[in-house]
Amino acid sequence: MPKERTVASKLANAVILIALEVTALVLLVNNGKMQQIWMMRVSHGFAAKTWGVSQDISNYFSLKKQNDELASENHRLEALVRDYRQTLESSDKSLEPVLADDGFLYTPAKVIKSGTNSQHNYLILDKGRNDGISENSGIITSKGVIGIVDAVSDHYSYAISFLNTEVSISSRLGESGTVGPLSWDGMNPDGALLKEISLQYKFAPGDTVYTSGYSVLFPPDIPLGTAGEARIINGATNEIKIKLFQNHSAVKYVTIVRNTRAAEIQEIEEGPQEKEGNKK
Amino acid sequence: MKDNHTLTYILFVVAQMILCNYFHFTPFVMLTILPVLVFLLPVRHGTASAMLIAFATGFAVDYFAEGTLGINALSLVPVAFVRRALIETICGSEPFEHKEDITIRKYGFAKILLAVIIVQSLFLAIYTVADCAGTRPLWFILARFGASLLASVLVSMLIVKPLTNVDRR
Repeated sequence: MPKERTVASKLANAVILIALEVTALVLLVNNGKMQQIWMMRVSHGFAAKTWGVSQDISNYFSLKKQNDELASENHRLEALVRDYRQTLESSDKSLEPVLADDGFLYTPAKVIKSGTNSQHNYLILDKGRNDGISENSGIITSKGVIGIVDAVSDHYSYAISFLNTEVSISSRLGESGTVGPLSWDGMNPDGALLKEISLQYKFAPGDTVYTSGYSVLFPPDIPLGTAGEARIINGATNEIKIKLFQNHSAVKYVTIVRNTRAAEIQEIEEGPQEKEGNKK
Repeated sequence: MKDNHTLTYILFVVAQMILCNYFHFTPFVMLTILPVLVFLLPVRHGTASAMLIAFATGFAVDYFAEGTLGINALSLVPVAFVRRALIETICGSEPFEHKEDITIRKYGFAKILLAVIIVQSLFLAIYTVADCAGTRPLWFILARFGASLLASVLVSMLIVKPLTNVDRR
């Protein structure tokens, strides 16, 4: 009995406390402008958090349905990819070249042969002169630059792979960063070195490297890899290790890009030089 | 005896009103003796009646002194709520069993000081946060809490003796 009385009295005290505190709080909120705004903010924050939590719970319980939908979508896309692949493999003229607004002609091709084990690697592609391919065309994928076409026959192309210590491509660090030559590090099929980056230029590990667009061989803004460690060369420039997005040992399908305006650019480049020559 | 304590209590509440109205030394110090008044209420007052007294006291100070109505009441009621548990923890259950009020002579300076620090901390924590109402930075709140605690504990210890001597007379 006394125990019950103690519990009841504690409960009564708690009720009185809450009642008095609520009364005091109401008085405070009604009489203090700052306190009113504060309470509104607190109550809105609490409401937002409560709704957020309930939304999270609801999302959790709908995960199974979303998984089923994703699995079904995945199955449909896999079937679609299979169909396209069959079309590509069964037809020599699988996909027609596409001329984009930037003046580059994009021709899909298949890698017939490639090497990654020497310091001067090469590729042979299943597209040649009859498909409109010419020397000095770039080879790309959605994950980076693969190489440069060096020689063509009627049906095949011979290309120097990016995994070649003599090849370097003009690259830009970050969306609007500084430009420098990117070349293979000579060791890993997914490793490269970005050189001649000015010491003043600040970058962070993980920044993306893109094609600069300054070369006539490759269109701009193709993502190539991410920046890693850097070291200072001769106290003048940074040399940055790049982890390439494209693993060159697993390339099967590529796109050959040919700049249809390359001749025009070359002509305008050579024009002033010739004029200077004539003056002399 | 009962009337003496009530009169002394009212006088100290009036003193608190004067403090609130006229003694604004710095925004960092809020001088208060209300928590110690509530803590040293005679033990015959149970928790419920102590909370009602605390609410009425806080409301009166808010109403008659410069301040936001409800802020002292809001901060003082929790002091009354924890009062009994605090006395039992620091002084044991003896005060309630023998219906003896708390005095420095019986329980010693250190125990009373500890209790005063705790009730002042509770009061000032609620008061400072509610008064700043999310408009002040944390460092200001902490500095104000610390300075107010130090000043209020010192003043509170000065009034413990007159408050507790009333019952001995």
